[in-house]
Amino acid sequence: MSAIQIQSVSKVIKGKKIIDSLSLEVHKGEVFGLLGPNGAGKTTTIRMIVGLISMTEGDIKIAGSSIKTDFEKAISRIGAIIENPEMYKFLSGYQNLLHFSRMSKGISKKKIEEVVELVGLKNRIHEKVKTYSLGMRQRLGLAQCLLHDPDVLILDEPTNGLDPAGIREIRDHLRMLAREKNMAIIVSSHLLSEMEMMCDRIGIIQQGKLLNVQSVQEFVQSTNPIFELEVEPKEKAITILKHSYPEGKVEEKEKAVTILIEKKEIPNIVKKLVEKNVHIYGIKEKRRTLEESFLELTTNGEGSKYDQVSTK
Amino acid sequence: MIKLVQNELIKIFYRVGTYVMIGLLLLMVLITGGFMKYQESQTLDANQQSWKNELSVQNEQLKKDLAEMKGHAPKDQIEYLEKQIAINEYRIQNNLSPNENYSMWDFVADASPFIEFAGLFTIIIAAGIVASEFNWGTIKLLLIRPISRKKILISKYITVILFALFMLFVLFSFATFVGAVLFGVPDQSSPYLLYTDGKVIEQPIVVYLITTFLLKYVNTIMLATMAFMISAVFRNNSLAIGLSLFLMLMGSQITRMIAIKYDWAKYLLFANTDLMQYIEGTPIVEGMTMTFSVTMLIIYFILFQALAHYVFQKRDVAA
Repeated sequence: MSAIQIQSVSKVIKGKKIIDSLSLEVHKGEVFGLLGPNGAGKTTTIRMIVGLISMTEGDIKIAGSSIKTDFEKAISRIGAIIENPEMYKFLSGYQNLLHFSRMSKGISKKKIEEVVELVGLKNRIHEKVKTYSLGMRQRLGLAQCLLHDPDVLILDEPTNGLDPAGIREIRDHLRMLAREKNMAIIVSSHLLSEMEMMCDRIGIIQQGKLLNVQSVQEFVQSTNPIFELEVEPKEKAITILKHSYPEGKVEEKEKAVTILIEKKEIPNIVKKLVEKNVHIYGIKEKRRTLEESFLELTTNGEGSKYDQVSTK
Repeated sequence: MIKLVQNELIKIFYRVGTYVMIGLLLLMVLITGGFMKYQESQTLDANQQSWKNELSVQNEQLKKDLAEMKGHAPKDQIEYLEKQIAINEYRIQNNLSPNENYSMWDFVADASPFIEFAGLFTIIIAAGIVASEFNWGTIKLLLIRPISRKKILISKYITVILFALFMLFVLFSFATFVGAVLFGVPDQSSPYLLYTDGKVIEQPIVVYLITTFLLKYVNTIMLATMAFMISAVFRNNSLAIGLSLFLMLMGSQITRMIAIKYDWAKYLLFANTDLMQYIEGTPIVEGMTMTFSVTMLIIYFILFQALAHYVFQKRDVAA
């Protein structure tokens, strides 16, 4: 059974469909990234998973329990940070953790200390939260959601406002938790490079719809790689290439010509160009980054271009 | 539930503001005590013996005033005069001097107006207890615990009531303490003379004081409940404080004004919050009884609670 099951969930606010029959499953031991431009519905989706926002239609199940009808049971399996982890600033970090531990069953003092140790706040835990840096608050937020040994972690923009070291730290923590504690983790972000390093699978959400779910590797590599040919004269090469590979999306760049093609076609291309007396100075394979894939997907309305490319 | 209330109390008592409020309350009692002590030293009675004569002279004057006023003065003024005359007569008949030394209990009675301030501070707490969580952003962490929203709201309300009782207790015990230190504990306290239904009744002063404190506090509890409701519905601290304070200061006056012309004023909240009107004085609208007011208060209470719960449980926490 999947740790999280989102079953055709919709949310209508003032007659406007914010989320449109979204379905998704996240498994144990997996870090799932929810990716999308601002206002696409990431935060709404995440808040629906933790019951902060009600659903208009559909249901969400956490380890089999519905967040709608069996809230207390479902939510007890979840640990979450929603946006910045806002804590009670006038209390110490430890008092904050105590405060939240009183709201779940069976959290011992020992467990609190264990979690504090895990996130590396041991030295400062008895100081007031208002003296903490953003990174430390984020770590305290992480501690807060690990207190009750959840099966599911949900983090909304966990790296927001963190410096590179802080981002790396969070990333390592998440990977470790997914691997060692077999948690299902959902992370939302609009930082693509981040997601690429952190997640196993990625779902792209736009205008309230889930466009596409794929593993990160697939996502980056699913399409034919682009090859950059440094050739001279360019015009001649373009004519030849366009003639031989009409589907190849041949484009002229500043110093080179790019073509979208399978790798095994490269020797043929070289042969053809050499035969026609075109000088080849170099051929480079360019992997598309997640960012390029993402932009391609989201700027072409409903991902039509992506579908076209990937089904080819 | 106990743990939830514990959480809420911690959040109140770990903030400096709470201690400022308690400090202010204690300071006001202390200053009043000092002032009373000063006044007492200025007017040491020279006429301990002649009080009976004085009271009868005063009564004759009062009766004259009363005769003149009858017919055109407002009702409550006439009743005040009647009450004074009746009490004075009772004193003369039963040999109860009004010039007993000013004691601890008299001071506690004089400190009872500060209940309004204890009330004000309670309202501030009630107004903030839900709205602050939204302001701080902590509501998001609070509502994703395995506890229903209903329980969270109930625990917050219980905390408000506990805080209200705490403030009342602080005020009463501190006033008693200051009174005892400055004015001494009387060997035998003189009874309080209560005037109801045209009769004078003797009541032990401690009983009278405790009733006064508790009944006056009903007003506060109702206002705090209202502030709590506004806090939960609008998530706005200042609105809850402002509106509740305005009604606390002006509510009964506005109600009184409406009551002059319209009978339905008796259904308004503030016609019923002052339960002292049934013990001393007269009801705002004729024909109102203690039972009626208590029923009205319960109805308002349920209304406020229902509203707070409905909105709080339905609310999408989006920001």
